[in-house]
Amino acid sequence: MSKTMGEGWRKDPRATQRLVMDRLATGMSFVATGILVLALASILWTLLWNGLAGLSIAALIHPMGPPGSNGGLANAILGSFIQTAVALILATPIGLGCGIYLSEFGSGSKFATAVRFVSDVLLSAPSILIGLFVYLVLVAPFGHFSGIAGSVALAILAVPIIVRTTEDMLRLVPVAMREAGSALGAAHWRVVLFLCLRSALPGVLTGILLALARVSGETAPLLFTSLGNQNWSFSLNKPMASLPIAIYQYAGASYDDWVRLAWTGALLVTLGVLSINIIVRFGFRSKQS
Amino acid sequence: MSEALQDLSLSSQSPASPEAALAVRELDFYYGEKQALKSITMDFRKQNVTAMIGPSGCGKSTLLRIFNRMYDLYPGQKATGTVLFDGADILDPGLDLNMLRSRIGMVFQKPTPFPMSIYDNIAFGVRLHEKLSRSEMDARVEDVLTRVALWKEVRDRLKEPAGGMSGGQQQRLCIARSIATKPEVLLLDEPTSALDPISTARIEELLDELKQDFTIAIVTHNMQQAARCADQVAFFYLGSLIEMDSADRMFTNPRQKQTQDYITGRFG
Repeated sequence: MSKTMGEGWRKDPRATQRLVMDRLATGMSFVATGILVLALASILWTLLWNGLAGLSIAALIHPMGPPGSNGGLANAILGSFIQTAVALILATPIGLGCGIYLSEFGSGSKFATAVRFVSDVLLSAPSILIGLFVYLVLVAPFGHFSGIAGSVALAILAVPIIVRTTEDMLRLVPVAMREAGSALGAAHWRVVLFLCLRSALPGVLTGILLALARVSGETAPLLFTSLGNQNWSFSLNKPMASLPIAIYQYAGASYDDWVRLAWTGALLVTLGVLSINIIVRFGFRSKQS
Repeated sequence: MSEALQDLSLSSQSPASPEAALAVRELDFYYGEKQALKSITMDFRKQNVTAMIGPSGCGKSTLLRIFNRMYDLYPGQKATGTVLFDGADILDPGLDLNMLRSRIGMVFQKPTPFPMSIYDNIAFGVRLHEKLSRSEMDARVEDVLTRVALWKEVRDRLKEPAGGMSGGQQQRLCIARSIATKPEVLLLDEPTSALDPISTARIEELLDELKQDFTIAIVTHNMQQAARCADQVAFFYLGSLIEMDSADRMFTNPRQKQTQDYITGRFG
């Protein structure tokens, strides 16, 4: 230390202790991050390793079949597509309408508060419970499982997600824009529909896609609604195959080709959800900025 | 210059003069329990720029938002008194608000472009009140954009989103959007406080031209702006109208000490 330095610069006795604590805390958060990344990486690696092995043209175009029959997953892929698409068609208008109501029309009313609470409860409800409910309402009375029951169960899971994001995104629309719309003499519904919703559209679409990503991997609500099907199933009125159910059936089987197909199915679901997330992340970001 | 020395103060009994676009009489305003405006009586002359000045919270923006019943959007806000506009009381609960707002336009502090193209930003308001053919709408868009000196800058990108314009351009677009519905009165709530000096100067020039067709009421924190643009200036303090006079008189020889203190920067 040079002689010209003032008294204020003399070494702080707590400095070493601070430095140790700092290193310790930083180190621990690195370790925690490392464990998480390792877990994710090993899941992805296992999935790719096992899933790619069974991924073939045959798996994509053949329906499920008995062990050793060179069966595929085509009917399950199609069934998943149909059921999530129908679920989204059912859930989007309801979720949008409800989100718009909560943000624009019911704001502050007791009814809206109650609706928001119920929707949030639904958001975290166990999905098997939803499946059970739909079983009681749409399966038991008709005496048979059906694709539409599966879609309804998935829709019930998707609605609260869409409600939440729609409401949140609409609330982000600046008050100034609403006022500017009203100041031009536009009726409230016009301001909501043509200005607020339009301005919130990227976020609202993101919510719908996230809901899609969420429900497309759901198994529990399908177990006693659409049940699954070994064959091609196009009718929403009959039991319908789906990837999660196929995984559930095949993964525990003692036939090697079934187990391999289960991994392939898991890989397909993961890739689907991953690509939706990538679309959400990059597709809408460029539009917003 | 007897005109410049004319006292513009009115008593609550003063009849609305034919020169007044807006005649405010005994106007009180409440945010819930809190009274924000106290017995305001004043006239806004046709084809004039009237500036409202005063420290923050003095009620000048509140007054502006009464003229197009903006406060109606918020429950708990209440106005009493009368504001005469074309023979009708603006505060009349039965008034057609959408029509009122097409006749009294408003431009806000921050530019508020709608999430659509430049063209549609203007067409949006027009379509609410008129059915125009494609060519008539094109002509209207060109006309208002020319009037706000924006046409040359944006004529080649009318289909592009308005959000891509600069702040000053956006604010001129907002003014164009407001005058596109052919209002009689234009309310400007600190329209240049978010803009740079060059954009501000452009909008001030614009006001001079616009006042030939519109009655303009502008709220501003900028004393020079009031002096440059306004024909009349009204000074508000704590919800009361302290003094109103021609701009010349207000800035050279105000009658009230509070006015003098404010414009010379002694408080505010």
